[in-house]
Order: sequence, then C-alpha cells, then structure tokens
Amino acid sequence: MKKMEENPPQSPFFKGGGCAELRKPDRSHSLAPLLCKRRGWGRIFFLLLLCLLLFAPGGRAEEQAVAPPLPPVNVPSPGVDLWNEIRGREGTAADMGQVRTQVQGVDTGVLINTGGQEWREYRMQTLIPNAAMALGFVALAIVVFRLVRGRIPIKAGRSTHKIKRFSKLQRYVHWTTAALFVTLAITGIFILFGRYIVIPLFGPEIGGPLVYGLKRIHDFAGPLFAIALVLLVIFFMKGNMPKLLDLKWIAKGGGLFGGKHASSECYNAGEKGWYWIAAIAGAFVVVSGFVLDFPNFEQGRNFMTFYHWIHSIGAVVMMSVAMGHIYMGTIAMEGAFEAMATGYCDANWAKEHHDLWYEEVKDKAVPADSIEQASDPGVDSGKQKVV
Amino acid sequence: MARMKFYCDAERCIECNACVTACKNEHEVPWGVNRRRVVTIKDGQPGERSISVACMHCSDAPCQAVCPVDCFTTTADGIVIHNKDTCIGCGYCFYACPFGAPQFPSDGAFSGRGKMDKCTFCAGGPEEADNSPAEFKKYGRNRIAEGKLPLCAEMCSTKALLAGDANTIADIYRKRVVNRAASALISGSNLQKTSFQPTLVPPELEGKASATE
Ligand code: SF4
Ligand code: SF4
Repeated sequence: MKKMEENPPQSPFFKGGGCAELRKPDRSHSLAPLLCKRRGWGRIFFLLLLCLLLFAPGGRAEEQAVAPPLPPVNVPSPGVDLWNEIRGREGTAADMGQVRTQVQGVDTGVLINTGGQEWREYRMQTLIPNAAMALGFVALAIVVFRLVRGRIPIKAGRSTHKIKRFSKLQRYVHWTTAALFVTLAITGIFILFGRYIVIPLFGPEIGGPLVYGLKRIHDFAGPLFAIALVLLVIFFMKGNMPKLLDLKWIAKGGGLFGGKHASSECYNAGEKGWYWIAAIAGAFVVVSGFVLDFPNFEQGRNFMTFYHWIHSIGAVVMMSVAMGHIYMGTIAMEGAFEAMATGYCDANWAKEHHDLWYEEVKDKAVPADSIEQASDPGVDSGKQKVV
Repeated sequence: MARMKFYCDAERCIECNACVTACKNEHEVPWGVNRRRVVTIKDGQPGERSISVACMHCSDAPCQAVCPVDCFTTTADGIVIHNKDTCIGCGYCFYACPFGAPQFPSDGAFSGRGKMDKCTFCAGGPEEADNSPAEFKKYGRNRIAEGKLPLCAEMCSTKALLAGDANTIADIYRKRVVNRAASALISGSNLQKTSFQPTLVPPELEGKASATE
C-alpha cells in the first residue's frame, strides 16, 4: 500500500499494467518500495546496492532483481496493419487494389513506391560507375591496340583497281543510322553523366538548358533511329549470316594480332558480330526507348524503370562495341573508310582482308581513275582523315 | 534551425481533400498537377484510413540523388527546393521518389513532360526574390518567407495534417499516440479494427499499478 504513495503521480491510463513499452524504466521508482518497507535495514541495503551499482558493469541486472519483469501484455501496434497496407505487402488491401484517391493520374493510388529506391541504387551505384568503366576500358583498349599494333596498312600497296563493296542505298542507310547513333550516344551520355560533367563545367544556368536541348534531341532522334536501324538490318542482312568459317576466323583472332591470315568472305566474324549486336541490342534499346519516350500511355513508374534498365544496359553495350567499330572503320586500317564512303574498296585491300569474297568479285574490279573523278568532296575529306 | 516536416495522422484524416484544393488554389499549380493528394486504404471497409501525401522533403532525397542536372537543393530548414530553370523534365525524380511527389504538367509524346512540379513546403523557388511575380508563376506562393507555415496543414479541419518544426510535430503526435494507445488498451481493441472511442477507466483497472509486490 505504501508503495503506491511513494510512486510519482501517474496518468490514470498508466494503471493498466500492460503499457510496459510506454513506461520509461525509472530506477528511483523501482528502488522506492525497498526504502519504505524496512527503514533501517533498507537504508543499509540501499547503500550496498549503490556500491554494487558503482562497480557493476551495468545497473540492469540489479534492477531486475528488485522488481521482476512485468508479464507481457499483448497490445497490437496500431500502425502495423496500416503500414503493411501502405507498403502494398502481399495479402493486404493495397495489394488487392483497394486503394482509392480522388486525384487522377499515373500511380496516384500508390502511397509508397519501394521500387524507386531500387532504381536509384541501380542508376547511381551500378549504372553510372560501370558505364564509365566500360566506355573508359574500351577507349583504353583502343589506345593500347594502336600503340602496340599501329596502323594496319595495305601490305601490297594500293592497286590500280577498285571493287564495288556497298550500294548507294546501303551507304545512305549506314550513314543515316551512324549519324543518329552518334547523336543519341552523345546526348545519352550527357543525360547519364550530366551532373558530373555539365553542371560542374557550365553551372546550372547554362548547363540546365544545354542538357535540356540535348535531351529533346535524344527524344526525337530515337524514333528516327528506330526506323534507320530496321532498314540497316534489312539492307545488310545478306552476307552477315554466321557460318562455320567465322569460328576459324575468331580462333585466329581475325589475324589482328600478327598471327596467320584469317580467311573471310564479304564480312568477317568481327563485322558480323557487330551487325548482330547492333540488331539485337539495338532492338532492346529501341523498344525500351519507346516505352520511355512516350509517357503519354500512362505507364507506371516501375514499368518505366524496368525498361530504363534494359535501355541503359543495351545502350552501354552498343556504345562500347561501336567505339571499336568506329576506330576500325576510320583511322585503324588503311582502305577501310573509303569502302563505306565511296562504295568502292581497293582490290588489294579486299584480297588481304576478305580473300574469299575477292575471289568471287575480282572480275568486276574497275580502274581506280574512273571512280575518283566521280567522287564528291565528302569523300575527299574522309580520305584525308584516313591518310 | 528548425527541421521542417509534414506529418499526416491517419487516425484523424477524414479524406475531405481540402488540403489538395487549398494547395492548388494557393499556388495556382499547373493544370493536371496535384502537389498533394489523399489516398484511402481499405476504402469502404472496416479499418478504412486516409492519408494526405505530398513531397516529404526527405533528408536523403532520392529525387535529388538521381537528377541528371542536380537541380535540387535542401534549405537549412530541411526543405527540398527544386529549380525549374535547370530541370530538363526527364522524369527520373518521379521514378525515384517513394511518394510520387514530382508531377509533370504534361505527359506528352516524345517525352515532352515540361518542367517538374512538386510541393515546395510553401517556400517558393531557389533563385527569384521572395514572392516576386516570377517566383509565384513558377513555384507558387512563398508563405515561409512571410513567416507562415504550409497552407494545407494550417487549414486542416481535423488537424490530421501537421507541418512545421520536427520537434514540435513529434511532441504533438507523441501525446496523441500515448492517449490513443492507453485508450485502446482499456477497451481491449485494435485501433485498426474499430474506430477510436474514448472510454472511462473500466472498474477492473481501478487501483492497479504497473509495478507488482
Ligand atoms: S520529391 Fe519525393 S524524393 Fe524528393 S524530397 Fe520530396 S518526397 Fe523526397
Ligand atoms: S525531371 Fe527535372 S528535377 Fe526531375 S530528375 Fe529530371 S531534371 Fe531533375
């Protein structure tokens, strides 16, 4: 009875005995009964306890010895069900689509979207560092390859004859796709790395509108690229089908590393590989790009972030391989660029790099002079780059 | 410095949507954009609850982390401010935000979303002079600069929606929770299953204390 009097006044609600989690553990509170029950002995005992308290590593054990723990009372946390439902956990009302809101719009019925955090981690911790590493690694590999291997010349020198390698249509389709691809790659890189490149460099006042402009170009170039890519895949399908010969070419490393010459037909395995990467990764990038480019179909956030994963991985793969293709097609190899620029390749170049194809078409070789006169300025500038 | 916070008390919200309307009116937000919305869980069933949600002005804001042009800033009061001049309308903040706070004036084809718009905690934008016409047009009224708290919470009829300094909000809410938990305990009910009914202390609890002999 006395114990009650010694206790500090409490809210009537706290008499329940069950709200252990609400009551803060209070040492003086638990010691009080001892003090009042047996005055004299109690005081000595209290002093002893104090000593114990001073030397014991923690006062908790002692406290429990004085007042045994309260029996647990089952008070359900009022928030548990509600928060499970808000998180849309399985079997909850939110999971069963019983969430309503008067505000109409995309995903407005979702209170907490946990997918956003996953996507944030993917973009910031996985995509950006790995994309930077992949692109940097390919660039480095190209530099090392250049230093080790140098420029690949036509060993037998230029011949007097040229062979038609690409039709006019093929060249137009190639260069349209190439121009759109480079545009998309550059604008995409600015969207990916903008906050690390553009904003520190130009500041938000100029950097913001700059990236905005680039993003708008990306938005419109994308669908055009989709059309160009389909045409590219169609027009270059002939000759790009994989064959057993390609395995031999790969086994010989394409003859790139000073090994034996690797035979090939119109396209070697490297070119075929690029064709199929462009076709397959390109299809993924194009389809996912449409999902991201047209938010007007009210697709949800998690749907769009899923396609962003595909879009970004596909794009990084394409950009990495494209860097190799651009290098090989321009400054790496004598006689390679002019084939796509003019449509004609040097007969000796064909013999050295596409021997089986050369055997097929060597009868159709034409004298070089007859073509050079017809060449346009664009081709000349292209040639200067090569030489 | 205060740490500004919103808190919506689901036990009090009556889904009147007044906060949504007041916000739209106060800031004259673009058509189709709702900076705040009320979401009802278990609509029409026992245990129905409504929560008003807007930008929660996160400490480690996902929108801020993913933005390609880094156009968010957090003020000293913990308000996440967005710069519409820098924004490129990419929608990444909308993907990352857990609360769906970032909105776009249009969801046009070719990703022409326009500049993102979200709750400013009635603190306007980052650059323009406080309550200048330019700021108002882009971000709405700057009530914080006038020494006022967000309108949605100020006019909430049930005081379900609280806005202001985190410590004060936490104090108010803590008191509510303590009283409700005790009440639920006494009536032996789960707050989720029944509505809140204050009862007198039942006789069997008279004279009982939390400590035993
Ligand atoms: S917009 Fe979303 S992520 Fe950004 S601060 Fe507001 S609630 Fe947080
Ligand atoms: S929409 Fe604007 S604010 Fe949002 S992530 Fe893109 S640029 Fe940043």
